[in-house]
Amino acid sequence: MVVFLLCTWDEGSMFYFMRNFFCSVLVWIIVLSAGNAAPLSYTLDKGASRVGFEVSFGPDQITGELPVQSAEITLDFQQVANSSVAVVLDVGNAKANFPFATQALRGPKVLDTTRFPTISFVSTEIKVLPDAPSKARMSGEITIRDTTRPITLGAELFRPADRALGERERLIVQLSGAVSRAAFGATGWSDLVGDTVALDLMLQIDLAE
Amino acid sequence: MAARNSERSFGWVTRALHWATALGVLGMLPLGVYVARMEVGYSNLWLFGLHKSIGVTIFALLAVRIVWHVVSPPPPSLPSDVAWKDQAAKWVHRAFYVLLAVVPLSGWVGSGATGLDVLVFNRITLPPLAPVSEAWETMAFGVHWVATKLLAACAIVHIAGALTRRDGTLARMVKG
Repeated sequence: MVVFLLCTWDEGSMFYFMRNFFCSVLVWIIVLSAGNAAPLSYTLDKGASRVGFEVSFGPDQITGELPVQSAEITLDFQQVANSSVAVVLDVGNAKANFPFATQALRGPKVLDTTRFPTISFVSTEIKVLPDAPSKARMSGEITIRDTTRPITLGAELFRPADRALGERERLIVQLSGAVSRAAFGATGWSDLVGDTVALDLMLQIDLAE
Repeated sequence: MAARNSERSFGWVTRALHWATALGVLGMLPLGVYVARMEVGYSNLWLFGLHKSIGVTIFALLAVRIVWHVVSPPPPSLPSDVAWKDQAAKWVHRAFYVLLAVVPLSGWVGSGATGLDVLVFNRITLPPLAPVSEAWETMAFGVHWVATKLLAACAIVHIAGALTRRDGTLARMVKG
C-alpha cells in the first residue's frame, strides 16, 4: 500500500535552493504490513528544521526565518486523515534579511514578541487531493498575536537523500501556505510591506523510540 | 579673517555655521519630501539613513551655533527703513532657532517611537527619545510634518529678504 503527502514547490521560495536536493528523493512511503498500521510519533530535529517567510517590500521581497520551538507530529501511513501536526515557532528569535526588518518584525507593530513570543499551528484535518493524488492539504488553526484563524497548508513528505527508499526513521515534512497580517493585527508598516506573508516550513523529524 | 564676531561683522565661524545649516536645510526639504513619497525598496532604503544623518547634523550645528553665540555674540541686524520688515526679520530668525530644533527632534522622537533604531551615518545608534508607541509616533511625525512646512516658509521669507535688501546684509554674511 502506498501512502503519501505531497505538495508543489514555490519557485520563489527561500528554500528553492533545497529543491534539487530533495526532489530526487521524494518519498513514497511503502507500508508493507498491517503491523505498521498504528500512527507513528516523530520528534523534531530543531537544528535541521527551518521555517521561512517571504513578504513583498515595494519592488523587492523581505525574507527571513522563524525558529521552530517544538513540534508534535504523528503520521499514519495507512489512514492519512489520522495524522496530525502541531508546531510552535519561537518568534522572539525571528530574523529577517536585514536588521531594520528584523526589528520591525519583532516589534509591537508586527509580531510584538515581548507579549506574544510564539506562533502556533495545530492541524485539524489532512486530505489527500482526489484529483491530484500526489498532493495533500492540511487544514488547521494558526495563532498569531493571540488571535486564532483557520489556515490551509500544502503538505509534502520527503526522505533525506542518504536514506533508503521506504525508510521512515528520518523524514522531512514540508508545509507551505500564507497568512494575512491584517487578520492578526500585525499591520505595522502596511504602507511599505505587503499584507500576505508566505510561509514555508521544513521540519526534519525522527521516529520516536 | 577673524573667527569671532565683531559689533558690525560676522566672523568666519558664524558664517560657516550659517551656510552649513543653510545647505543642510535646503537639501533636506526636498529629500524629506522625496523620502516620504518614494516606493521603498532595497535600492533606496539608505535614503532614510541619509535623511536622519543630515537631520542630526543640522541639530548639532544649531547646538554649536547657540554655544558659539554665547561665546561670541553676533552683530545686531542692520536696520531697514521699513519697520514691519525689521519685525519680520526678527521673528523669522527666532522661528529658525525653534524650528531647527523642533524638526530634527520630532523626527528623532517619531523614529524612536516606531521601535526601530535611529541609526545615523550607518554606525551610530541614537537612544530613543520616546517609548515605542503608535500615539507618540503619530504625534511626533505630525509635528515633524507641520514644522518642516513652517521651516520651508521661513527659508523662503529669509532668502527673499536677503536678496532684496541693499544694505549689505547678505554681503556681510558672505564676506564677514
